[in-house]
Amino acid sequence: MSTKSIGQEFTKGLWDENPVFRQLLGLCPTLAVTNAVINGLAMGMATSFVLIFSSLVVSSIKKFIPSQVRIASYVVIIATFVTVADRFLAAFFPPISKSLGPYVPLIVVNCIILGRQEAFSSKNTVGRSLIDALGMSSGFVLAMLLLSAIREILGMGTFLGYQVMGPWFEPWIIMLLPPGAFITLGILLALALQIERKAKSWK
Amino acid sequence: MKLSTQMVVVLTSVGLLSGSFLATVGHLTKERIALNKQRETEKAIIQVVPGIVSSQKLYEERDLSVYGGKDAEGNIVGFAIQASGIGFQDKITLMLGTNTSLKKINRLAILDQKETPGLGAKIANSEFFLLYWENRDSSGTITLHKPAVSSPEELLPTEVNTITGATISSEAVLNIVNTSLEQVRKIIKEGKLTGEAQDVN
Amino acid sequence: MELVAIFVTAILINNFVLRYFLGICPFLGVSKKIDSAISMGLAVTFVMTITAAVSWVINHWILIPLKLDYLQIVSFILVIASLVQLVEMFIRKISPPLYEALGIYLPLITTNCAIFFLALMASLRDYSFLESVIFGVGSGLGFTLAIILMAAIREQLDLADVPEALKGAGIALIVAGIMALAFLGFSGMIK
Repeated sequence: MSTKSIGQEFTKGLWDENPVFRQLLGLCPTLAVTNAVINGLAMGMATSFVLIFSSLVVSSIKKFIPSQVRIASYVVIIATFVTVADRFLAAFFPPISKSLGPYVPLIVVNCIILGRQEAFSSKNTVGRSLIDALGMSSGFVLAMLLLSAIREILGMGTFLGYQVMGPWFEPWIIMLLPPGAFITLGILLALALQIERKAKSWK
Repeated sequence: MKLSTQMVVVLTSVGLLSGSFLATVGHLTKERIALNKQRETEKAIIQVVPGIVSSQKLYEERDLSVYGGKDAEGNIVGFAIQASGIGFQDKITLMLGTNTSLKKINRLAILDQKETPGLGAKIANSEFFLLYWENRDSSGTITLHKPAVSSPEELLPTEVNTITGATISSEAVLNIVNTSLEQVRKIIKEGKLTGEAQDVN
Repeated sequence: MELVAIFVTAILINNFVLRYFLGICPFLGVSKKIDSAISMGLAVTFVMTITAAVSWVINHWILIPLKLDYLQIVSFILVIASLVQLVEMFIRKISPPLYEALGIYLPLITTNCAIFFLALMASLRDYSFLESVIFGVGSGLGFTLAIILMAAIREQLDLADVPEALKGAGIALIVAGIMALAFLGFSGMIK
């Protein structure tokens, strides 16, 4: 059982245990769909939806699940919500569904989600699990936003499709391609580590 | 309850609940998803065969479909050919509008592509590429004009423009068009193009 | 010809790791030594080939005839999880030395998104049985190539003076970025 205050339970996902920058989880979608802010945001929301609902279900039925079959049950629950997210996007937001493509179904193997069920929801109350899921989701969405904003601004000179760079700006196409994703994330991880080290040395 | 029984009961009920829930979701969204796809195809057909009011699927195989565009009286006034092929990175899917003899290309539309953003992806851009595909003479093989020109008047009727910095993507589109035209000619010759197929509109 | 194109594209042009960002966890985690990288790569190739075949059968004999396409995600993930278990038991029985070599890497593969993506892509692209299997082998070899190259670079990197904050995942991702840049050169090879 977690002994943190409700506030801490939420904010830990934003920085101390940020899934992307601190735990290095869910890197695959973080790299793959962050070539435009709209895609990063949509992916962040879809993942949050799955994480929040899976945590709610898992924490409320945890008593009935024998530990031998817990992973299998979690996976089925997660896969169910992923399918819902995938069908919903395809039915109501076809352009987003098209640009995210097979990466929506891929949420099912996103280690953030299974990781939170195993490490948190299976041991804590429904309320706490919800707060934890909300915090982790916000941390993930923030990471997606940061990465996609950098890549879209430098790669196309736009933010959410609006021109933000002047006409003098020559877009860095490489930022939209796979190498740009790897290098940007590598630099951001190093920055996060550096900030953490500085913060520790001040304490 | 014995542990093994409990395991089976839990797994079965999780599976059944999830299955029935998904069946409902699947049922609720199915029509809408199919409709979205159909609308996208229809939009592209009307775009490449101007002046039609409805269309009908005449032929279908993997990576090649032929639609007939019909005027208000129901006469087929042109074909829309949906074809796919390998581009610079991944598959390119396009829609090609021709007249009924396949000797003239009205217009070209790109339905799906994953070419390099800012370079090859310009094949989906009218100003750089698609504009130069309007009203081409396709009685023979279409060729690429290199180097790139800046207005359609500088091209022969059998030529199309290259995108500077994305020759391979331009060539890929050209290949798909030439190959699919040849295939459709063969299909017509063999009499496989049916008017009996289901209506898409 | 089509088969050769699928095979080469899967290894070099649309490399699972360097273009689709799949299997990043093992790519970063098991790439410190060349030996373990080779074992991991082979284990992935092995499971990928079998997954490609089995998921094709499930998709074309069960899901499509019964119009159960909305169960695709759930069934693929369950198939992969049980398949890895079966493969593990099978190898342990048949060839203990092979089990020794691949053993600890097999369970890790269940959570490898590359396997799931493979099953999904083969269905999305409407591949035939043979094409699916070739796609599976090619993608597995592509992963193996990427992880071995990465391990070779990281063994050298151990001797280099990397800034403190970049150590570990940071520098590994930047190296992967440069590798991805090199692999971009293979684009357009297949016409």
